[in-house]
Amino acid sequence: MNENDTPTIEQQRATIAELETPVIQVWEGVLALPLIGSLDTARAQNMNERLLERIVETGSEIVILDITGVPVVDTAVARHLLETVSAARLLGAEVLLVGLGSRTAMTLVQLGLDLQGVTTRITMAKGLELAFQKLGLEVTSKTTRAVDGTEG
Amino acid sequence: MLTSAIIKVRDTLIVSVQEDLGDEDALDLQAALTQQLERTPVNGVLIDLSLVHVIDSFLGRTLNDLAVGVRLLGARAVVVGMQPAVAITLVELGLELRRIQTALTVERGLDLLARSTNHRL
Amino acid sequence: MSNTERHLPIAGERDIVLARQVARSWAQELGFGAIDASRIATAVSELTRNVVRYATGGRGEVTIREVKSPEGRKGLEIEVSDEGPGIEDIELVLRDGYTTGQGMGLGLPGTRRLMDETHIESALGRGTTVTVRKWKA
Repeated sequence: MNENDTPTIEQQRATIAELETPVIQVWEGVLALPLIGSLDTARAQNMNERLLERIVETGSEIVILDITGVPVVDTAVARHLLETVSAARLLGAEVLLVGLGSRTAMTLVQLGLDLQGVTTRITMAKGLELAFQKLGLEVTSKTTRAVDGTEG
Repeated sequence: MLTSAIIKVRDTLIVSVQEDLGDEDALDLQAALTQQLERTPVNGVLIDLSLVHVIDSFLGRTLNDLAVGVRLLGARAVVVGMQPAVAITLVELGLELRRIQTALTVERGLDLLARSTNHRL
Repeated sequence: MSNTERHLPIAGERDIVLARQVARSWAQELGFGAIDASRIATAVSELTRNVVRYATGGRGEVTIREVKSPEGRKGLEIEVSDEGPGIEDIELVLRDGYTTGQGMGLGLPGTRRLMDETHIESALGRGTTVTVRKWKA
């Protein structure tokens, strides 16, 4: 009786994983993945698995991976991120890495990891801008249309 | 002995790879595609991998070589429909297949090929 | 009662495909996810290909078996063996980028990354046995 309403350990683990690294569809064709906390192998693997599935489900060609909330980006983390980029690419999607701070950037440079081939932007907003560009979309402000005094 | 049919759709050769491709089959496919390309020059070759459940280092490298060969023959190769499990496994194996262009679906792949043709003209 | 072990001979290329098909379905039956099943199948493919390509006569054997850890976790173990020529330097073949000169590595470093455990036993002139294991999460 209790088995029916109490989620199994596996179900609980799956829920936690989803909450930890939510994959959000921010626009048609654009997924966002805000990463908060450290990224170990298990988490990276789980993230990749769900991300790739969402890419296929939603038919999204662009993924904005936000690492603002990742405290330490070392060689291991960099490798995980590169794997995410490569795996998504094999499916036909492009990963834009955002939120790489100046300290992280210099650490990567010193570690000799220049993340070649990976497109990066400083903020999620910049990432979105690039995503829209790639999709051939443009965001314009309504007020600029009222140049001649008429309402937009 | 090739079990996958190669179809010509407008300016593209399309092949849907059957699952459980042995090494010889993979090489046969490579040969068949390049020979077909020679006979009927097109701008693009689209390889649909949506039925393939396992891509190991041999098939991975064969696909990469195929893309290079297609390029040498003046066309572009695009791989579509790779399964997530396969992509992750390939990356863990250490194969990134950089020489191959990819797209999510056959449709997007055809669009991609059409776009690159436009750029070249 | 339950078939917990299966032997497959390796004598040619078709056996590579068969071995990985068996490994993959068995993994799925055991409840491994799609990705782990793909990892297992790919590792089996690499190892059996090594036998076909490099073993004496291209012959060997693959054994797939269900295993249980002391903590009770279920897993799949694959043992691939041949009768020669044996690996002279195991350290060397486990190194990323090692090739046999035909432009193809033995796929062992990749296999090691895919599986949870990899054991290699080899003696020159006697043969090689590679045992790999993957545990269910």
